[in-house]
Amino acid sequence: MTCVCRCALVWIVALSAASPVLAQGRGPQLDLTISPLSISFASASPDTTPVVTAPPIVVTVRVRQSTGPWSLTVLANGDLLSGSDAVDISNVTWTATPAPPFQGGTLSKTVAQRVASGTGTVNPAENGSLTFRLANSWTYNAASYTQTLVFTLTAP
Amino acid sequence: MFSRHFAVILLSWAVVASPTRAAAQTSTATLSANIGAVASLTLSAATIAFPDADPDTVPLIPATAGPILITAKSRATAGAQVVLAVQATDDLRSGVSVIPASNITWTGSGVGFVAGTLSTSSPVTVAAWTGSGIRSGSQQFFFRNLWTHPTGTYTLTMIYTLSAP
Repeated sequence: MTCVCRCALVWIVALSAASPVLAQGRGPQLDLTISPLSISFASASPDTTPVVTAPPIVVTVRVRQSTGPWSLTVLANGDLLSGSDAVDISNVTWTATPAPPFQGGTLSKTVAQRVASGTGTVNPAENGSLTFRLANSWTYNAASYTQTLVFTLTAP
Repeated sequence: MFSRHFAVILLSWAVVASPTRAAAQTSTATLSANIGAVASLTLSAATIAFPDADPDTVPLIPATAGPILITAKSRATAGAQVVLAVQATDDLRSGVSVIPASNITWTGSGVGFVAGTLSTSSPVTVAAWTGSGIRSGSQQFFFRNLWTHPTGTYTLTMIYTLSAP
């Protein structure tokens, strides 16, 4: 008799703890695509082209099964590098359309910068056009620089 | 005892499983920038002139307009030498009369600028620097005045070259 009562109590506790987890299993489904995956700045004279513009990229965001906020951020893995030469990544900015949900900003290697944000679902997917720009300067060393950008779509 | 163990197992599953439900999607893009070597040169005047003078009183005639102001912008590879040089295309000529271009000299003012003597055979360094940047200075020209120069109005052309490897 005593054993039966204990078993029933255990089942109630176990089910109440597991229920929220099962709900999260049907939680936000996120899709993020970027095309192209290469962003290139061509060489130009700082006098004639003080700001170098790269061809735009398309960022596609889809958020399903979500009622809360979502956010797309970008973080540079470092400055633009070429061997020991470096161009500070903060010299790269971007503009974005449509706004909202997309927004412009300045690249950072320390803090992820918001690219887009919203609440609830984004379905069908929404395309954003991001145009990156490099502040041109006579002080840069001539070289071919590269860096990696990490875009992260989250719906916490 | 059995029931207590079963409860512990279920609760542990709930706690461990939660982080795996966090919704996040990442994508990586490559950013590249081709920063090429370029140069830009600006002179404050495209013409300089020397007035007539008595060789005894003015053996070295300064250009009338004073120093030429020079702005040299260059983007070069790290540690590369950027050189501003000038070369005369010919000697000073007035009809059939000729005065060697080497009678024209200059002094330089500003970081990297040096004095020199004009030549028709090879470029002569006006200034030199290391690496990228914007530099400014001036060049004051002089004409060596001699009794032996034939009278006339002489001209020549100088070509400035700013090189940034």
